[in-house]
Amino acid sequence: MAHPRIAAFARLADDKSIPIRVIEGQSALLARTAHAIEYDEVHDEIFIPQMIAQAVLVFSGSAMGEVSPIRIIQGDKTRLRQSDRLAIDTVNNELYVPDGDKVLVFPRDANGNVAPTRILQGPETQLGASAIAIDPVHNLLIVSGSGRSGGSRTGHLLIFNRTDQGNAKPRAVVRGPHTMLDEGGARNIRVYPANGWILVAYDGVQGENATGRSFVGVWSIYDNGDVPPRWTIGGPQGVLVKPRGVAFNVQNKEVIVSDKELNAVVTYSFPELFEQDSARVERNPLRAAVNPTPTLTEKISKIWEQLASFHF
Amino acid sequence: MRPRKILSVEFLAPVLLALATISVVGYHQRDLPFKAHQERSFNSPRLVSIKPLLVSIKPLIEEGEICTDPDSSESPNLASLGAGPTITSILAQRAMQEQRPARLDRGPARMIIDTSPTFSNVVVDVARNEVIAAGENTFQVLVYDRRANTPTNATMTEPKRVLGGNKTKIDYVCGLHVDPSTGDIYILNDDTETTLSVYSRDDQGNIPADRELKTPIYTFGLAVDEEHQELYMTVQRDGAVSVFRKQASGDEAPIRLLQGPRTRLADPHGIAIDSTNDLMFVTNFGYSARHSTEGVDLAKILPKPNWPIDNRLVIPGSGKFEAPSVTVHERTASGDTPPLRVIQGPKTRLNMPAGIAADPKRREIYVANDMDHSILVFSSEAGGDVAPLRLLKGSKTGLKHPSGLFLDTKNNELWVANFGNHSLTVYPLSAQGDTAPLRTIRSAPLGSPTTMVGNPGAVAYDTKRSELLVPN
Repeated sequence: MAHPRIAAFARLADDKSIPIRVIEGQSALLARTAHAIEYDEVHDEIFIPQMIAQAVLVFSGSAMGEVSPIRIIQGDKTRLRQSDRLAIDTVNNELYVPDGDKVLVFPRDANGNVAPTRILQGPETQLGASAIAIDPVHNLLIVSGSGRSGGSRTGHLLIFNRTDQGNAKPRAVVRGPHTMLDEGGARNIRVYPANGWILVAYDGVQGENATGRSFVGVWSIYDNGDVPPRWTIGGPQGVLVKPRGVAFNVQNKEVIVSDKELNAVVTYSFPELFEQDSARVERNPLRAAVNPTPTLTEKISKIWEQLASFHF
Repeated sequence: MRPRKILSVEFLAPVLLALATISVVGYHQRDLPFKAHQERSFNSPRLVSIKPLLVSIKPLIEEGEICTDPDSSESPNLASLGAGPTITSILAQRAMQEQRPARLDRGPARMIIDTSPTFSNVVVDVARNEVIAAGENTFQVLVYDRRANTPTNATMTEPKRVLGGNKTKIDYVCGLHVDPSTGDIYILNDDTETTLSVYSRDDQGNIPADRELKTPIYTFGLAVDEEHQELYMTVQRDGAVSVFRKQASGDEAPIRLLQGPRTRLADPHGIAIDSTNDLMFVTNFGYSARHSTEGVDLAKILPKPNWPIDNRLVIPGSGKFEAPSVTVHERTASGDTPPLRVIQGPKTRLNMPAGIAADPKRREIYVANDMDHSILVFSSEAGGDVAPLRLLKGSKTGLKHPSGLFLDTKNNELWVANFGNHSLTVYPLSAQGDTAPLRTIRSAPLGSPTTMVGNPGAVAYDTKRSELLVPN
């Protein structure tokens, strides 16, 4: 992008808003198009990968302006190849970096040229790792990516024990046509550990073309096999075009999505996600479907289309 | 929790219809000033679709209420306890039977979005008095009259033509060139379409390019050597300069490649060619990693000759940070050839240097120094830790995150694309210090907020400060 930076917007920012603060400039060492960012609320730190220089940058949570990272993980011992995404675990003090066919695990407070403490890698893992999330409550490591299945390339979620290493098999694999995760796989994932929901940003692109199949979906950590998401929001055929980032705000029961095609940050009210006691429920539609209202939406869409054709 | 029935469909439908009408008209007037933009919005799945306009129902969401079908006043959980089936539960049951998810059809509560073009680059068609600008956030290329000057109280200057839409393959455009003889417009994407698109001067709207060239991914800067009919582009991630025939198309291979640790290319951005003195200038952010080709048959890995070696051959842990620089190369440099000289160091003031242009006659180079909100002018013979010959910077200049620039040597003007304030600004070529622009073209009202959100690949929530953290 023309201008790499981290912008902090107020929670209620809307429409054209300027950020409250920005981390930017040469000293910040940020590269183009970061595909992951984590906020560590326990230690008040921001983690972001730097793909071009094979590094992980850590900023103070209050950083603003042209500031340097407080820590940098970089060097030949790190084995970082394409540090494009990451996740942190503040309970077990670890940092996870998916890197192609492996997941590298570092101490959360690692600094400089440090070796990973363990590596998850091997044919049984089925990695292609793209995005990653940690559930410290249920001690799980969830990886999104894509792989070959039935002769075609398809997206998947791989669920491991958090401390798995070496050539470990995933304990569950969410994959198949009902998942609606095509070859690109999920671009970013988060776990809401309190009740075990996995949020997935899926952009549904073919090549680089938007297909209308994009959505933010929710699976349970107990899901396995060819199962659809419990909920989708923002699509398919919705507002979201290429959702790439996803985060949640527990206090206000919101899900936040960054969309690279809209160049926008979209916030949804999503109380269902936070009110469900546990994701360990059967796929009970009476619990899962809270607000489908498709007929009303379809009506409004038709009105829009009619008005659009009238005006333009 | 029992969802409350707050409004019926019968009541909502006319209200929403009225709101929709107001919103469409308002949106048309406020945010869709360009015809091509309209076409893009309604004929293309890309960019702003119709559905985001449903912010008109936002208050319902903000209140935490949920619109329900008229017969679904009972909560799903109550239904499960024997209160009888509801429409909601029946629809959900059907969804489950059909192996599909329960879709939450609700509009966003909020959306941070800038619908006005944010300029990442600019070129001038001197022969036809037109200015061509890259709207990075709106995936557009906009053509203005060169002599336009947006009045202070005007919302914006209307472009003469706009290219944009899914058929154009314009995607985060950063590189631009205009053919001085034909007026053809060359458009290079930074991300994510690996396509150079060439349009005839009069083209507009959402139409395919007259000519396309497959490019490496993560390109940024574009320069064309008209004298030698060659086309240069920088490749950020892989630290390379790819050179094609100017008329190359389709899957044609580059004719030269400059790449390797000795080149000192490090996250290269802008590129300029001085064909008179046979020089090539490249701005670098200073980030790099090394590749290893030992024992590798490149012909089996790379799609074509002279193609940049990519991250499949990158050496793990070889990444490094260096100071930003301008590397000066022989125009025809290829392979892993060291630069002739490097402008680098604290005296240079380089801070995220982006666009670059060369003035062969005056033997000067101009650098858009993004983070310093300045334009730096160096001697084209400079090297090492040197101060710029001239510095254009200050509150009167209107410079804000300058990303691209162009030298109009016929009219003796310097054009700057300001990523940070929706503007193109024009100065005398010799301007320095805190000089106000001769003219300004704006795509949004003066002082209009610029989100500067570009390719937001991720988001996080700062619970301590209640902030959304958004990287570009």
